[in-house]
Amino acid sequence: MKSFISLIIPLCAVLLALMIGAIMLLSLGANPISGYVTMFGAAFGSLEGFSETAVKSIPLLLVGVGICIAFRANVINIGGEGQMVMGALLATAVALAFPGLPSLMLIPMVLIAGAVGGAFWGSIAGALKAYFNVSEILSTIMLNIVAVQFMNFLLRGFMIDPAEVARGTGIPQTMRLSENADLPILLEGMRMHLGVVVALLVAVGAYFLLWRTAMGYRLRAVGYNPDASRYAGISVPKNVTSALAFSGAMAGIAGAILVFGSESHRMVTDGGSTGFTGSAGFNGIVVALLAGLHPIWSIPSALLFGGMLVGANALQRAAQVPSALIIALNGLIVVFVVSSEYFKQRFLESGRVDIVDEEDTPAGGSHE
Amino acid sequence: MAITKKHVLSVFILLACVAGFSLSASAGDKLKVGFVYISPIGDAGWTYQHDLGRLALEKNLGDKIETKFIEGVPEGPEAERVIRDLAKSGHDLIFTTSFGYMNPTLKVAKMFPKKHFEHSTGYKTAKNVGTYMCRFYEGRYLTGIVAGKMTKSNILGYVAAFPIPEVIRGINAFTLGARSVNPDIKVKVIWVNSWFDPGKEREASEALITQGADVITHHTDSTAAVLTAEEKGVYAIAYHSDMSKYGPKAHLTAATHVYGDFYTKTTQAVLDKTWKPEAVWSGIKEGSIELAPFNPAVPADVVALVEKTKKGIADGSFHPFHGPIKDQSGKVVVEAGKSLTDKDLLGMNYYVEGVLGNIPK
Amino acid sequence: MDFDIFIHILVAAIAAGTPFVYAALGELVTEKSGVLNLGVEGMMLVGAISGFIAMTKTGSLLVAVLCGMSAGALMACIFAVLTLTLMANQVASGLALTIFGVGLSAFLGLKYTSIALPGVKELHIPVLSDIPVIGQLLFSHDILIYSSFVLFAAVSWFLYKTKAGLILRGIGEAPKSAHALGYNVIKIRYLAVLFGGAMAGLGGAYLSVAYTPMWVEGMVAGRGWVSLALVVFATWRPARVMAGAYLFGGITIAQFHVQGFGIEIPSQLLSMLPYIATIVVLVLISRDQNTIRLNSPASLGITYHPDNQ
Repeated sequence: MKSFISLIIPLCAVLLALMIGAIMLLSLGANPISGYVTMFGAAFGSLEGFSETAVKSIPLLLVGVGICIAFRANVINIGGEGQMVMGALLATAVALAFPGLPSLMLIPMVLIAGAVGGAFWGSIAGALKAYFNVSEILSTIMLNIVAVQFMNFLLRGFMIDPAEVARGTGIPQTMRLSENADLPILLEGMRMHLGVVVALLVAVGAYFLLWRTAMGYRLRAVGYNPDASRYAGISVPKNVTSALAFSGAMAGIAGAILVFGSESHRMVTDGGSTGFTGSAGFNGIVVALLAGLHPIWSIPSALLFGGMLVGANALQRAAQVPSALIIALNGLIVVFVVSSEYFKQRFLESGRVDIVDEEDTPAGGSHE
Repeated sequence: MAITKKHVLSVFILLACVAGFSLSASAGDKLKVGFVYISPIGDAGWTYQHDLGRLALEKNLGDKIETKFIEGVPEGPEAERVIRDLAKSGHDLIFTTSFGYMNPTLKVAKMFPKKHFEHSTGYKTAKNVGTYMCRFYEGRYLTGIVAGKMTKSNILGYVAAFPIPEVIRGINAFTLGARSVNPDIKVKVIWVNSWFDPGKEREASEALITQGADVITHHTDSTAAVLTAEEKGVYAIAYHSDMSKYGPKAHLTAATHVYGDFYTKTTQAVLDKTWKPEAVWSGIKEGSIELAPFNPAVPADVVALVEKTKKGIADGSFHPFHGPIKDQSGKVVVEAGKSLTDKDLLGMNYYVEGVLGNIPK
Repeated sequence: MDFDIFIHILVAAIAAGTPFVYAALGELVTEKSGVLNLGVEGMMLVGAISGFIAMTKTGSLLVAVLCGMSAGALMACIFAVLTLTLMANQVASGLALTIFGVGLSAFLGLKYTSIALPGVKELHIPVLSDIPVIGQLLFSHDILIYSSFVLFAAVSWFLYKTKAGLILRGIGEAPKSAHALGYNVIKIRYLAVLFGGAMAGLGGAYLSVAYTPMWVEGMVAGRGWVSLALVVFATWRPARVMAGAYLFGGITIAQFHVQGFGIEIPSQLLSMLPYIATIVVLVLISRDQNTIRLNSPASLGITYHPDNQ
């Protein structure tokens, strides 16, 4: 019953948001029913559409899973964008350095490099929070901008395609990266590639990390009650740092997958981050929230948002409805899902939804 | 005479043929043309100009074609999907209007060898991919003349996006145009590292005005430079679109690009099955570059001079990059009597004499 | 660099910093009451488009400003209902508000990308604006900049010189004690959140009707996030918010001037500077627990349950 209600209420919230979206569609003179049919049909109606949706969902899922870990440790990671960029940069550097390695070695290497790059960027914010008490909300926002400028700097300088320099066009992009690093396509003629499998594995792995390992226990404990954890001998700074490192690593993998699974297999910058990430660093937060900060539930959640993004283009094509509507709709869904938390709790008749299932600790924080 | 089975049959066949023909003529024969835009259309700027071209195409060939556009498509993985969607949904001719669509366009073109693709500003063609671009620098040179005549401080300001050859070419052409009528001109350039950021564009314009520029122009997408010039009481020369309504007093003219003819011609070629992939680089001669109407403040003799130069460019008797041209250090880069080749133009990576500062690395 | 240009940079920095002033002072009041609203970017965007629409419809700056403020307040109201009535997580709700605001503003603004506004004329205050240097710095702006000065004075006075300000700060420090003293914590927090939203909306409207008088999707361009950082950067002090806002406004402008003078620094590194500087300042001020404890509202971001007393 409990799990049924925790499933059905966010779902109602999504439906309610879609209904308001229908009113917006009507106001634009479009038929909402055929609009939604087009939208979801394009995203889920065919194998090919689903393949697109799956590809679109990869970064959302990975960032979302990272957010699950961070938020469980009570660390607010808004730095997904920057961490994706840094992961992609390091992965690209590895692919540039070892173009000759066989795929079996190079692909794991670039994915690990992505994870390391993202983890490094995340752990900066983590260490600042843990050891200098700097709010990670602010430092991750700042680090996003720094990462983007760093990317622009590298792609215009050290990492630029020599052909661009020779031709004089100077487009800020790397050369076509080694084909050995291309993520293999899973279905002939479609775009679904190995990244989908990686993302799913990471989601399952994160679940095991959080609920089946001592480390996951410590992360959740720190998030639940830092003071009690401290008394229990758990190092809060260390766990805060590792929460951000894990979170960053997953965003970094997402960044690497964007580079090696994309059609151009190179890193390009248009000066900002959204051109590269598609705002997955922010939208991943939404995915995690809709999933109730659960890595496994993040999978359908990411598919929903990925599908909406894929469907948005079909909708725009069919009804010439501007894409802004879909962004607004995404936002509405989040607002409704966040507010549904309250009703969920009312239904469950408990004071709050427990993030951790351990017994309540004595009123913490009042010892000062 | 008896009506034989054979007769009946042939009548049926005939009818079927006619019916089939008319059916295919009514249903399948509007050529579907797709456009992919990098930003929302808005009302001025890069995408707006392309959409004007699309509308002109609809007007010219409206009964034979059907157009569709997808706006705000980011470069990168998203673009490929959108282009493929268009190809799959029966669009036989697809215009992709941003540089970053190059690789996605080529890739989708490979998957749909029967469809036709035209990519704007790229440098790679394929069996079914053509490219098209405008000789923006021709318009720049002409507006440079206007700026050179209108400035009192002899300092011109240039808000620029990214240091790539296309932008540098524009800065140089503008400078050459201005110095052709006023050799004391200096051009100050500020790079905002963004194609579209009204806040930064305004701040850069302000900085230029503060540093003495009394005519500013921009190679960015928004109308901020014109607005700022209007507010601060200096002149502005717009780019992409006529922005006079944003600064009725400030707006002297604009270097605009016009795609209607190109889109119509290309689409007609596809209809006639004469389409060939080409790398089109068209300018004033082909009607791809136009100036916006002049501000009444521009004296008639300046207008006349601009018109004369424009005619020269159109008939090929005049080239904006004709020698002698010196670079910043005073070294002659184009000797007297020669003009830059298209190849040199495309790879331009130096400032000509009169531009201040260095090209950022 | 000659002195005149230096003054020009300062004047431009004040204009560029004004959206930060509005949004950050508003957020400061919200945070002083113990509520962390991360939705500033979204509220500014909705304020910007609403102000812009009102300006094009009525041509009245006053109406535009009021619409921008009400729109920001309405957005904040969503946030307040979520966090104060439904007791949702403040961080999640704030992010939701931003994502919603980005989409909603783009949606509302669809038909308004094609409109030009005249902008707001500078209002030189007679006599005062003729004072050398100071006249240029303080008395030669448009009216929305003057009103941001007034807002600063009002917020400082309210927080530190009035009983209501004291109550507000008390609620931010110890909501339970304030409740015990008979103050309606939820009601006062509602007001603080609404005020923050109105100011964010005003900051957005300043951008769309005065600073760059046009509507462009996403035109707030991260200023909301920077405003959030500014509040911490300023350790929750109004005067430091002002200084920080102008500093942030001024750095880009100074960077452009440096370019105009032909001094070469890789622009990407230069663009990073303000943000790296903020991180450094954050380290410096946060390292010392006492500064934080003295200024940061103790209950910031913690959901308050009135029933669980």
